[in-house]
Parts: sequence; structure tokens; C-alpha cells
Amino acid sequence: MVGDTLQLVLNGLVAGTILAVPAIGFTAIYAVLRFPNFSLASHLTIGAFAGYVANVAWGWPAAGAVLVAFVAAGLAGVVNDELVLKPLRPAGALTTAIAAVALTIVLENVVRFAFGNDLRGYDLPIQRDWQVAGLRVGAQQVENLAIAIVAMLAVFLFLARTRTGKAMRAVADNPTLAQVKGVDPDRVARLVNFVGMGLAGVGGVLVGLDTSIDPLTGFRVILSVFAAAVVGGLGSIPGAVVGALTVGVGEEMSLLVLPPAYRTAVGFVAILLVLTLRPRGILGERAY
Amino acid sequence: MENYLVAMLTFAGVYALLALGLNVVWGMAGMINLGLVGFFALGAYASALLAKKAGWPMAAGLPAAALVAAGAGAVVALVTARLRGDYLAIVTLGFSEVVRITASNEIWLTNGTDGISGIPGPWRGRVSPAAFNLIYLAIVAVAVVAVVALLERVRRSPYGRVLRAIRDDEQVAAVAGKPVRAFKVQAFALSAAVLGLAGALYAHYTSYIAPEVFAPLISIYVVLALTAGGTGNNHGAVLGAALVVFFMESTRFLTAVLPGISAVQSAALRELLIGAGLIVVLRVRPAGLLPERIPGVQAR
Amino acid sequence: MTEPRFTRRSLLTTATAAVAASALPWPPRGARAQGAPIRLGTLTPLTGAGGSYGPPMRRAMEWVVSEVNAAGGVLGRRIELASEDDQTNPEAAVRAARKLIDVDRVPAIMGTWASAVTTAVAPLCWESKTFLTTVSGSDTITQLPHQGYLIRTQPNTHLQIGKLGDFLLRLKVKRVFMASAQTPFAVPSQTLLREILAKGGSELVGSVIYDKDKTTFRSEIDQALRTKPDMLYLNGYTPDTTVLAKDLYKAGYTGGRIAQGYAVNPKFLASLPNEVTDGIYTAQPTSALESAGYRRLAKALGSDELDPYTCQCHDHASLVCLAIAHARGEATGTAIRDHVRKISQGPGIKVDSAVEGLKLLAEGKQINYEGASGPCDFTDIGDIVDCKIRFEQAVGGKFKVVSTL
Repeated sequence: MVGDTLQLVLNGLVAGTILAVPAIGFTAIYAVLRFPNFSLASHLTIGAFAGYVANVAWGWPAAGAVLVAFVAAGLAGVVNDELVLKPLRPAGALTTAIAAVALTIVLENVVRFAFGNDLRGYDLPIQRDWQVAGLRVGAQQVENLAIAIVAMLAVFLFLARTRTGKAMRAVADNPTLAQVKGVDPDRVARLVNFVGMGLAGVGGVLVGLDTSIDPLTGFRVILSVFAAAVVGGLGSIPGAVVGALTVGVGEEMSLLVLPPAYRTAVGFVAILLVLTLRPRGILGERAY
Repeated sequence: MENYLVAMLTFAGVYALLALGLNVVWGMAGMINLGLVGFFALGAYASALLAKKAGWPMAAGLPAAALVAAGAGAVVALVTARLRGDYLAIVTLGFSEVVRITASNEIWLTNGTDGISGIPGPWRGRVSPAAFNLIYLAIVAVAVVAVVALLERVRRSPYGRVLRAIRDDEQVAAVAGKPVRAFKVQAFALSAAVLGLAGALYAHYTSYIAPEVFAPLISIYVVLALTAGGTGNNHGAVLGAALVVFFMESTRFLTAVLPGISAVQSAALRELLIGAGLIVVLRVRPAGLLPERIPGVQAR
Repeated sequence: MTEPRFTRRSLLTTATAAVAASALPWPPRGARAQGAPIRLGTLTPLTGAGGSYGPPMRRAMEWVVSEVNAAGGVLGRRIELASEDDQTNPEAAVRAARKLIDVDRVPAIMGTWASAVTTAVAPLCWESKTFLTTVSGSDTITQLPHQGYLIRTQPNTHLQIGKLGDFLLRLKVKRVFMASAQTPFAVPSQTLLREILAKGGSELVGSVIYDKDKTTFRSEIDQALRTKPDMLYLNGYTPDTTVLAKDLYKAGYTGGRIAQGYAVNPKFLASLPNEVTDGIYTAQPTSALESAGYRRLAKALGSDELDPYTCQCHDHASLVCLAIAHARGEATGTAIRDHVRKISQGPGIKVDSAVEGLKLLAEGKQINYEGASGPCDFTDIGDIVDCKIRFEQAVGGKFKVVSTL
């Protein structure tokens, strides 16, 4: 019984790792640009397909595919922001967020136009689980967690320690003052969009590895990604990882009491519980 | 052809009601509700079940649906009371998914993914389908007019002023002695009532509902409709809804005449154009086609 | 205050009508004029959860129509297709069907896939006397009061599970666990399979209904493996079955797996490594004849193995064309309803293609169309009477036929 419960927790951590990387991207953009960029789902999909092209069409190994995904999704993020979202920023964060929703529909269909609906897979081996002390742990998922932690540390340290990172935080806190001080808000926006959406793209490859690649790849996971970012605290980089693991564990633990078909539903109830106790998320905002 | 236009106008009317409902809670009270399709579903199921299992006529089912949805709205508002803006958005999105999943799995109540078919409609089967369509358009049109009139009264009343004050700065409103939470809960309930009414009207019109109908995409389209039409403006809500339905339907004809692309590409292009069209509207008029008009303040 | 609103509304209405009118060649009134084309409707999922199925379904119908037109059409009249995307959503499907029925004036709508879509569109069809052909699986669909305006080429639960259970018993498996996506036929399938296995001396040791959009099913698999099954029945669709297959492999499961042919199809095999897919059994309806029609379709669509839905849509288009021909060119839903069983079953000459059937009908002969998806004989309520189920196994990334029941 204890073993079964432990396995559930482990499964939950494993399920959560896949959400962590895109959640970091989402929350980083929120931290600097102060709006939820709802077009994240389509950038996840773009990354998944970019990785597919690199891996299957060009024959690159996994690391190469991830890199291509990062760059492709990051560039897409910058271009989309410049063309669509930036001109709307003066109208307010909410309007920009709504436009991002329309944007995600557009981008998903650009991908569908180019690639069609067929499910595809990477040309990469699937690793068997490790058996540790009677418990199953996914090898791939441990890698995912490692990637998530590396990404989290990189972004966190960047924002907290480097000069550019501090400039970005300045823009987030007080754009006018930052501009007076010589920080270029446009450059900051481009950088954070590149990194944030690039991470979404990497997340897309990870999701594609575990599931399949098609225009809906991003859309299927996006609610859980948003939930992860929110639970951890919007704007908090470590919060994204904590939130992702919490959402994952919450959904799996629900299996103790409810049938599996209810997993997502319970996930959201769990999020609500967390937010009732801590309305700003587990790590609150601005934990960088 | 006329039948098609009548039907599309009816759908536009249902979407208009959804946008009006969203306007109450978002445009007027400043709370973003991305889970509006959940209340739409609750109203639809309430009226459908009352009609099929208890034999209630639609005239009784509609207000019942509104009440059920309003109750749910109040509960959601109470539970999410401390949540702010973006957090509320994502939690409400989750709410609509919870409704959909529950409807899919509680087969004893909702018939699960099989859905509820054969929902009676006024004079359905006793008049020709074309006549039924026209009658129903009239019913929906009356509903839209009535709701617009009601919400305009609310907007211009002192109650509406308090809601706007809460929307613009909650702390100031609280300091001014207004029971902020009570107002927010009422606004949510009122909004949910309108959404539930829309759901009931939809159920009796199409005679069939299933969990798959109530997908988050509808919430997205309604949010886009309200933003494009003009958040805060009831007429904007109706206009935005008509615009969204117009985009959804006219793109059908447009992509059909394009040569040389495959079926998937044509479908993708169509959805792309719907999204792109709405982005263009937002770019051209960021405040929406019909911006909010504050009563007592001269329009810009 | 309300006046401006109505003005804007009517402006938009006029605009819609203008766009529609200008973009569309109006179907001529009294379209029984010699040579006037017959327009048929298709409604398939080109986007949304069913998006991987819609395009090949539509291609199959387009191919049949092109073959028929190349051979002179139906009684000299060209067939045209008016095609819409149902977006795998009943709300969108109802609007699309309205357009097909009221603007394109089609006598038949073919191909609907999702059960909820079909159930939503069916009332529009029978009320407007439009004939609906579907591949949806939910049993309740044929029980709707459709007055004959609906036929379904997909075997119902009774037929499918009956033969699947039979096959499993022949494989001598003892402990079967069933994992289903949440669909209308999930629970009825479980109940029926349990009965059949019990009668044959085996056991349905457990079942689970999962949420098909998850990225991992580890816990569901743990639940399954705890019951120590020697066969897993994966009753879902391609995206979730892909995840299940990967997770089963990771968990080191070495027992048997069986799934429906529409879930584990050639694209499934192509997107996964052989180590993961080898050994999976699949079940799908098949034609009785060693169907030349099937082979021709496979060649035309450029793959040597066809999705069950693609085969069925090929049959939808063929059946509708043949029914119209038998009705001496009367292209209405009622005529199709009244004549479809006269060409799909009975003592006529067996044909497996629309072109051949049309030729024989023109010579005054009776025909019995045997489709690419099965014999295509329909009961009064529109279910198929019977069909053979072909069981295959994935070996080295390809399918091998194991048996046909």
C-alpha cells in the first residue's frame, strides 16, 4: 500500500517534469513583460515540429533536435511578438493576452497547413524504466527533470545576477524609469521572448518524445502548463518548477480516490486548494 | 439559403448572450472568466434534463437553467474570492474543464459522452423545420433584446457604478465602504445566469447536447468576440458575437474557392483566417469596435 | 438605444449574404435537368481531435467521385462534392451541416466521424430529409428516430466485441485487462467483453477508463499490471494509444496487446520504433471478397494498408452514387433512403466498385454492392448486418494477417 502510494508520488513527479520547462518560459515572459502570453501552446508545437525536422529529416541526434527546437521556437516568439503583440501592448496587458490567444489559433493552423494532421514520432530510442527499490522511474523523465533544473538555474541566475538580467527586471518593475536609465525595453522584450518561447519549444520536444507530434501537441498540455505556472506563483522562476511538480503529483494522487478519467478535473481542484491557501502561488510572485 | 442565414443568426444570438454574460463579469466588474463555457454547459444540461426527465416545458426550463448557473456562479465566485486577475483566469478555465469531465463521466446523470438527444423545442415536429427555425430566431432575438435592456439598466444604475469602481480599483472601493466581495459574487452570479440562459436556449434549439460541445474553444471565441466588439459595452458584445460568427461562416465560402490546396490546408486556412481577422480588428481598434461609454462622461 | 444594434446586425447579415452569393454558384432549381451536376456533401474532421482521420476519409470519397465522373457520371450527370470540416466538435458540425443542407442543397452528407457530431447532425438530416452516412461507433446512433435517413458502416459494439472476444479466446489468453478512452461505447464494450470471456473460460480481470489527453498513463498501467494480465485490450484512439504503447514499453510489459485498427494504423507503426510496436494485434472490419476495390483504393491513395474509416468512406460515396442511379437519377435524400438497400444487399450481381455497379445498373441488371469495408448489408435501423473482422499483428513495422472471423 505504501509502495503503491510512493509509486503514485513518483509517477506524479515524473508527469510534472514535462510541464516544468514550458512553465518556466511562460512565467519568465510574465515576469518581465507582465502579461500571460497565451500563445505558448503553439510555440510548444513549433518546437516539437522543428525538432522533428532536425531529427527525422536531417538525422540529427536528440541534443541537436532540442537545440533546433529552442532556436526555432525562440525566433518564432520574437517575430510574433514584434508583429502582433508589441503593437498592442499600449492597449494594456489584457488586450495583449487576448491577442495572444488568437495568435495561438493562427500559429497552430500554420503548422497544420505545413505538416497536416498526421501523428509523427522522433527517430529516437525509447528507454525502459529503471527499477529502483521496487519502484519504477522513467529514464527519460529523470532527464527531463535535469533539463528543467538546468533551465531554471540558468534563467534564474541570469535574471538575478547578470547586468542584462537586472535591466530586464528593471523594465518589469518600472518601464519608464528603466528607459530613462538607458535600458532599451524593446531589446529586453526580444530577449525574454526568445528565451521564454525557446524554452516552450524545448518543452515541445520533451512532450513529443513521450507522446506524439501533431498540431495539437501543445494544446493538449497547455492547461496543465498554465496551472503549473500559476500554482508556483506567476513570475517566479523556481515557482514554475515547484508548480509543475505539484500539479503532476496532485493529479496522480487523485487516483487514490477517484477514477483516472477525472485526473485533470482533480488537478484543477488541487490548484484551487493551493491558491486558496496562498493566493499568489506557492512561491509567490517575484521570487527572483 | 434563407434557412442557413436564419440559423446563423440564431447562433449569433446565442453567442451574443454568451458575450453579454461575459461582459457583466469582465467588462463591468473586471473579473476575467475564461470558464464561461462551463456555465453555458450547466444551463444547457439543467434545462435539457428537466425537459427530458421531468417533462418541464422550455418556458420553465429557461429560468431554471439561469438559476442553476447563477448558483454555480456564486459558488465559484466565493471560492475564488481572493484570486486576482491572471490567477482567476486560469482557475476559471479549469472550472469549465471540470464541468466537461464530470458531464463525460457521470453517465447516470448526464448520459456521459453519448449526450442527451431529443430535447424538445417549441412546436418542434408540429411545424415545418423552416418555421421552427424562424420561431426560434424570434425567441433568441427577444432574449438578446431583453438581456441587453436589463444589462444596460444595470450598467447605468448606481449598482453598475460600484461594479465599475471595483473593476478600476478594488482597494478604493473597499475603503469607500462598499462590500466588495458581495458585489463580486452578485456580478458573477448575474453573469452566470445569462450564460446559463444561453445554454438552455442552445439545448432546445439543437435538440442535442454532449460534453464535447462545451469545449474551451467556445470560451476563447466569446472572449475574442467581446474584446473585438468592445469590452464594457453591451452593444459591443452583441456586435462582437455577430462578427465572430460572420468570420466563422464567411471563411467557409472563401477557402472553398481557393484552388490547389488540400482539404487539411483549406480547413487550416479557414481557422487561421478567423484568428487573423480578430487580431486585425484588435490592431485597428484596440479598445474594440464599440468602446465603453461611461455614463455621465463625454465620449472620446 | 436598441436601434443601432439592429442596423449593424442587418448590415452584417447582408454582408454575409453578399459574400455567400458571390462566391457560390447557385444550384439550379429543379436540378433534374439533364446533365446538371449532382452535389453531395462530406463532413469529416479536418481539424480537432479527429484531425488525423478526416483528410484520408475525404480523399477516399473524392477518389470514388473522380472514378465515377471519369466513367461518365451517374446517368450522365457529374458528381460534385461540397466538403466541410466539422472540427471534431458538435457545435461547429451543426453549423457546417446547415450550410451543406441549406446552401449546397446536398441530398446526402457522408463521413461524420465523432459520435457526438453524428448525433448532433442527425436531427438536421432527418428533418430536412437528407441522407446521412456515418462511421461513428456509438450504439445509440442507429437507435435515434431517424426514419431511415441514416446508415452506419462501422460495426456496432455487439458485432465488434463479439468477434474480438472470440479471437482472444482462440489465442487462449486467460486474463484480459481493458483500458478505454472515455467514449459512448467504452462501458458497453467492457460489459460485453466480460460476458464473452467468462463464457469461454477466461476472465476480464479489470478495466479502466482514462482521460485521453494526458501525456502519460503510468498510474493507469500500474493499475493494469497489478492484475497480472496476459493480454491488454487498448480501446482508444491513435494519440492516446501511442502514449500507452510507449509507457507499456517503458514499464517492461511483455504480455499481449490488442487494439482497434483505426487506433493502431500504419501511421502508428511508422511513428514508433519496432521494439515498441512488434506483436500488437489489431482488429478491423474487412471486405468479404478479396476486394479488388480495396486494392485499387489502396493504390490510388498511395499506401498498402488502409484505415478502416477510409475504406468505409469509399463505401459511403459508392453506395450513395449507386442508390441515386437505381432511383433513376432522383438525387434526393428520400430517394437514396428508399433505394440504398436495393443496391447494397439482396440477390443481385456482386460488385465491388461504383463504376462497375453503375455500368450494370445501366444495363438493367440488379446489383449487390460489396464494399471495401465489408459486405455493406444494412438492417432496418441502419446498422450493418454482419461483417468479417480481420485480425492482424504488427511485425517489423508492417501488418501481417493472422485470421479473419
